[in-house]
Amino acid sequence: MDNPMLRVSVAPHLKQKTTTSSLMYNTLVALVPALLAGIYFFGFAALKLALICMGTAVACETGMQRLMGRKLTFLNGSALLLGLLFALLCTPELPWWTALLGTAIAVILGREIYGGLGNNPFNPVLVGWAVARISFPAQMTTWIMPEPLFGLEAGGYIEYPPLEVLRVDGIDIFYDLPWLDLFIGNVPGTIGTVSVVAVLIGGIYLLVRRIITWHIPLGFLASGWLFGLIFWLIDPEVYANPTIYILSGWTVLGAFFLATDKGTVPVTAPGMIIFGAGCGLITMIIRYWGGFVDGAAFAILLMNAATPLLDRVRPRVYGRVKQVA
Amino acid sequence: MGPRTSFRGVFLPPQKVSNPAIEDAPLPQRVILPLGQDGDRLCHPVVNVGEPVKTGQLLGQSAHFLTAPVHASISGRVADIRPWFNPSGSEILSVIVESDGNDAWQEEFRSDDRFLEKERVQILANLKAAGVVEIGPPAMPLHAKFGKPEPSREYLFLVGIPPAKPIDTVIINSIDAEPGMAAKGAILQEHREDITAGIKIIQKLVGSAQVVLAVSSNGSSNLALTSELAGLGVRVFRGKDKYPLGLSPILVKSVTGREIPLPNGRDQDIGVAVVDAVALVHLVEAVRELKPQVEKVLSVSGAGMTAVKNYRVRLGTPVKDLLKQLGGLKAEPVKVIAGGAMTGMALFSTDIPVTKEMDALIFQTTEEATSFSSDGCINCGLCVRHCPARLLPSELSKYCEFNMFEEAKDKYLLHCIECGICAYVCPEKRPMLHLLRFGKRELSLT
Repeated sequence: MDNPMLRVSVAPHLKQKTTTSSLMYNTLVALVPALLAGIYFFGFAALKLALICMGTAVACETGMQRLMGRKLTFLNGSALLLGLLFALLCTPELPWWTALLGTAIAVILGREIYGGLGNNPFNPVLVGWAVARISFPAQMTTWIMPEPLFGLEAGGYIEYPPLEVLRVDGIDIFYDLPWLDLFIGNVPGTIGTVSVVAVLIGGIYLLVRRIITWHIPLGFLASGWLFGLIFWLIDPEVYANPTIYILSGWTVLGAFFLATDKGTVPVTAPGMIIFGAGCGLITMIIRYWGGFVDGAAFAILLMNAATPLLDRVRPRVYGRVKQVA
Repeated sequence: MGPRTSFRGVFLPPQKVSNPAIEDAPLPQRVILPLGQDGDRLCHPVVNVGEPVKTGQLLGQSAHFLTAPVHASISGRVADIRPWFNPSGSEILSVIVESDGNDAWQEEFRSDDRFLEKERVQILANLKAAGVVEIGPPAMPLHAKFGKPEPSREYLFLVGIPPAKPIDTVIINSIDAEPGMAAKGAILQEHREDITAGIKIIQKLVGSAQVVLAVSSNGSSNLALTSELAGLGVRVFRGKDKYPLGLSPILVKSVTGREIPLPNGRDQDIGVAVVDAVALVHLVEAVRELKPQVEKVLSVSGAGMTAVKNYRVRLGTPVKDLLKQLGGLKAEPVKVIAGGAMTGMALFSTDIPVTKEMDALIFQTTEEATSFSSDGCINCGLCVRHCPARLLPSELSKYCEFNMFEEAKDKYLLHCIECGICAYVCPEKRPMLHLLRFGKRELSLT
């Protein structure tokens, strides 16, 4: 019988166009405003750092995958995203070797050693950052003043990031800062986090493209803000206005990009809300009483550890009936 | 607040349906009629090889309650009775009839004007004799829905649900669930009288139960039908155009707010009967004209066709002949799918006949055919976000991938309704549905 050779596969025979690469490249696109803001305020040193980190990440990933005999995945953009995120968390003055070392640790010890994308328990970017921050505190916390390339005047009010001013100089000096400078990022700080507005644009892009859901960012920001509000109402002399905490430091980038890192966060809706809320809470606790000035990184890392537990908070499945017997 | 009727799902790309709604496919030269829907309950043949048969003549029957008799779909001669592959790949004893080209019916079917006055028992007898089978899965004879209740199933006692609950809601499913399916919409358009007559018959069968006609929001408006049905006390449910509304677990939930108890539960367990619109028309023909089910409306699409076309096809027509007769395909298909694009079965051979439980055929060319990858899960959570059964398909797929079936069962693997959304959305293109079905299969063997 003339029977053509037919392909046989299991259902479904229709696929959504979304691929891992499209998720990653969309997230990269969403980070472009933050990177542009970094270049605008800190000059092309920021771009150089980003390129170093991205190159290192791709090289390390490819090297590790070669070594472990795995499929090479540099084309899917996940290493580029990791590198760029790492660079955005660094001060523009960071020496190239620190950036290289941090990124390498992020890729190798943060991700590839566990089996690659999606199998790592902790956010690899933050693992790399934490190692670098603790090992090289001097290099990681050398700040430069923002010098906008055009248009704006340099925000010359403070010499180090706003949260550090709050911690060291006290609340009165901190209140002298114009909020607009905090919002657009005309203050010293890390490349990608100073400009809240740029990060927000990227975050909203992710939400609109449905790359992330609202659960984690909202949980993060709302719980952080509410926790801050409580203490601000108790004693405004000691604890600053909670909105300032949202506008400064890593809060927004953390909420939209770091706490939504695929693979290291819960996947159920209630789990994601609790995860976000926990991140916000721990961030504020570290900022108030902790040893580090900005707690967002450690808050996310801590909540990453709780992810397997939070994944157990799941909705009732369809058709489940209570056991009577 | 009433029960929640919303569900998770996806919006699939819309499809065009061609006009006129239903065309007749040419008579086949040869038909292969499997003597049943699955291996456990087959009919035994009542004809012999070489015997001449007429269209509509009984070929096989069984005393088992859950079987539907098989009738000749063309007139001719019984060429052979031997096992033949059905769409799922198992061999089922089948009667092969060679056509004599006349299509001579066994008897003239006269429309019985007083068919609406028939008694319940008589209706059920007609229905069983006509061998009407619902589109699967599970492909069940329609009379089983309304006939005597099945023997009680033990687990229902255990979970506190009284067996054999009387039916209080009948849902006429005329939602074409998946891309590639358009038969129900076409039936709604072309067989208005039959739909109303069918609803009247069903009302007779179920007494005071509420009848709900579920239609999709994007289909033709059917306003005339709506006003006619209002007089019969029928509620029209207009669902949103979201997959998997057309699958019965989700449809039942959307219409009534009740959930079918899983695993192993059926819609009857919660007093609901879902009847698809195509089967409803066969029901009317069976009761009105005593006409057995010898044909079915099949949606054909893909391989360069711009719209889904509906054909009235004789049962048992080999897919190969159908493909030849219909023509119209712009490109050579590399994949032939029996069923919709989301849950359908890819056929391994075009010798497989059109069966009662099949409602669509999709031909895919090399460009249209999708493939899976063997990459690991990246834990992105997209499948969890869209799972209508509110499962964690990512986790289940990993359990099944590494043979941890009992763990998967503890995480409610058996509550999966096999809609295929997890595999549709997976960015890594993992064969999610395959893994979950594999796990279920392994569990059923233990």
